[in-house]
Amino acid sequence: MAHITYVAAGGQSTTVDLPDGWSLMQGAVANGIEGIVGECGGSCACATCHCYVDEADLGRLPAPAEGELAMLANVAAERRPTSRLSCQIKASPALEGLTLHLPDTQE
Amino acid sequence: MGSFRFDPYSPAVDADPFPFYRRLRDDFPCFWSEEAQMWILSRYADIVGAGQDWQTYSSASGNLMTELPGRAGSTLGSSDPPKHDRLRGLIQHAFLKRNLTALEGHIREVATSVFGQLRDQPEFDFKDVSSQFTVKVLMAALGLPMGDEAIVDEQVVRDNAVLMVQSDARTRAKGPEHLAAYQWMQDYAAQVIAMRRANPRDDLISHFSNAELDGDRLDEREVLLTTTTLIMAGVESLGGFMMMFAYNLASHEQALHEVVGDPAMLPDAVEESLRLNTSAQRFKRRLTRDVELHGSHMKAGDFVCLAYGAGNRDERQFPDPDRYDIRRRPRGHLGFGGGVHACLGVAIARMAVRIAFEELHRVVPRYHRVADQLPWMPSSTFRSPLVLMLAAA
Repeated sequence: MAHITYVAAGGQSTTVDLPDGWSLMQGAVANGIEGIVGECGGSCACATCHCYVDEADLGRLPAPAEGELAMLANVAAERRPTSRLSCQIKASPALEGLTLHLPDTQE
Repeated sequence: MGSFRFDPYSPAVDADPFPFYRRLRDDFPCFWSEEAQMWILSRYADIVGAGQDWQTYSSASGNLMTELPGRAGSTLGSSDPPKHDRLRGLIQHAFLKRNLTALEGHIREVATSVFGQLRDQPEFDFKDVSSQFTVKVLMAALGLPMGDEAIVDEQVVRDNAVLMVQSDARTRAKGPEHLAAYQWMQDYAAQVIAMRRANPRDDLISHFSNAELDGDRLDEREVLLTTTTLIMAGVESLGGFMMMFAYNLASHEQALHEVVGDPAMLPDAVEESLRLNTSAQRFKRRLTRDVELHGSHMKAGDFVCLAYGAGNRDERQFPDPDRYDIRRRPRGHLGFGGGVHACLGVAIARMAVRIAFEELHRVVPRYHRVADQLPWMPSSTFRSPLVLMLAAA
């Protein structure tokens, strides 16, 4: 399990406890967190689960794979060095306490 | 001796799987079905977890509960990453919301003409109109030959798509008529692929059948069987869902009244129907390693059913799950599955159903079911009525 904090563009913060193996996109959607869409369901094919990983947490994540980097070109909001697709990040104890900031738009 | 059984081939499960699902979730959350020869997962959290973990819950040995011969491993739904991802990358683009706006006007025209036929009809089988609508929309979306170029009658495509997903309740397998429909669909797909290769157009099958990935042509079987599956899945899933949505609205007078009065509520009613009882009820995976879950020891090589329809009624995730509440907004429902194999056609399905019911309700603003008992499709994977007689007003 890992506690993941999602911070909406408006500043509202929600923390949820995710089972190991769940993607951070699925965790947001299953817990009713607005601001992450996940139109393609998690197959890295739509760029609507875009998030900004908190800079303090960036070093804790494995680097994005080639497919994710290519799909990040399609995000609707500004792409930053901290941009990731949350469907490609899996919860695990190593991510305990991670914070994601959500963009103001996904579509 | 009265012990619990779950037989996805039984007509009782076709008609009403939900009491069985409740027993499964509460008492047997990881249940071995003798009849299906597979494990059944029924709780929301377990299904989401399995859907995410494709390395353990593989689709490469088939994803339909009763698999069609020769199909496993050559389609999107029946392959694992990285092969799955390269196929999906080629196809998903055409189905993203932002790329569907060009189709919206056409879908509206189809809906106006198809549902316009219901004017002044006191009673009708909703299947007749929903199947016409579905086939025309899918043909336009996939770029199948229509009008002057058509190579077969539209309804023949529909009839074969519906037959190939069914199975025989007695033999627990595909019958000759189901296999013949599958063969027909492959032959039809092969003809379309040949046409589009000879004269490519700006449509999905043209792009897909001429695609190269990293310099590699796609394998011919992948092109053929993925195209076959897109037609089957599109027609059966959209048609089946529309039947279930009409069934829900016809069975809930207040909900119908609200969405007719305020069509902006249709999208929420659609999402709640996807949760409550969508047609895609169960899919299959195969374990690549031993897994222990809720005290059961599942072995590598075992098949596992992800009962999406059961997860969608799990009160651990959705309070008061058997109630049809169009204001629920059930985020994260499993009506489109989940994980890497989540439905490819989410955006077009939402758009097409919304437009269809906006136009239906212009012509028939009030309707109810004529019969209490319905004939349900014999299928271990999908669930929808074969006939849905509705009476206007």
